[in-house]
Amino acid sequence: MQRTAYNRRRSDKESRELARYQEISSFLADVERRAFRQAMYAVRDEDAALDIVQDAMLKLTENYSDRPVGELPMLFQRILQNAIHDHFRRQKVRSTWTTVLSALGYKDDRDEEYDPLETLGAKTDSNAASDPAANVEQRQTMRIIEQAISRLPPRQREAFLLRYWEELDVAETAAAMGCSEGSVKTHCSRAVHALAEMLEAKGMKL
Amino acid sequence: MNDDRQSEFGRKVAQYLDRSVDELRPGTLYRLQQARAAAMAGVAAGETVSTELALAGVRGGIWSGSLRRPFGWLALVVLIAAGGFGYQQWHAMQQVREFEDLDLHLLASDLPIDAYLDRGFQNWLRAGFER
Repeated sequence: MQRTAYNRRRSDKESRELARYQEISSFLADVERRAFRQAMYAVRDEDAALDIVQDAMLKLTENYSDRPVGELPMLFQRILQNAIHDHFRRQKVRSTWTTVLSALGYKDDRDEEYDPLETLGAKTDSNAASDPAANVEQRQTMRIIEQAISRLPPRQREAFLLRYWEELDVAETAAAMGCSEGSVKTHCSRAVHALAEMLEAKGMKL
Repeated sequence: MNDDRQSEFGRKVAQYLDRSVDELRPGTLYRLQQARAAAMAGVAAGETVSTELALAGVRGGIWSGSLRRPFGWLALVVLIAAGGFGYQQWHAMQQVREFEDLDLHLLASDLPIDAYLDRGFQNWLRAGFER
């Protein structure tokens, strides 16, 4: 009798754990590609961006796997932004050596070489493939938008992507960025204006 | 630009960004998948170890089945290490208690403590035991 009750309790527990596992896994599957692009816009290095995303995923599952699913987007974004900031902090420490190397002739020309489309694969959409002109135009638009986003100041980019791409509300964005709601609104407004200006300069109007 | 116009602009940009996400290279997608699997392995492993340790007493030990998994071995190694450390601590405490008893007897005895340093007294004690 006791054995049956124990087995039932254990089975319930395992079912709950399995459901929880699937919830977190599908959340990460849903968010991982956007997280990678966010990291890419910030650090402009594919390997570093992948490391940042993996680090953020590990921290989420290690420390917050028992949190309600509704809290995961905000928590993950906060961890991701912190991981990006940590990357820049580490880079700052290394910059001493970079300065020494640049004095010896090394040139850090990542900015000139960076192309956001480098990480894009071949498009598999049959409609686009059947209309090469539309495909090219779409890729050009995408490229211009990505370059404009990469050029935004970091905090403006964070606020813009969290609000409009991750669809967090102002309060969640503020919590993820560790700032006030007023700051989020200011950053978003400035980001939108800056993006609109950059796109207009390229002859684009959204 | 008012709030509605800002939101509309943001949504349009987000649509383009969504398309760029759909076109990530297969190699990048694979590495992201691997990263996710590594993170999820942490969740599964953490729950398995904690569950196994919690249930060890109820089920009569971790021997039944859990050792087939790598984390079962890890739990066993941790238990053995903890047992060894515990024994060492217990042994040290025993020695301290023995010394305490000896000191207590010496201090409580009527015999002055300097007597134990006297060679003649030690010879007399040894002779007494031999008799």
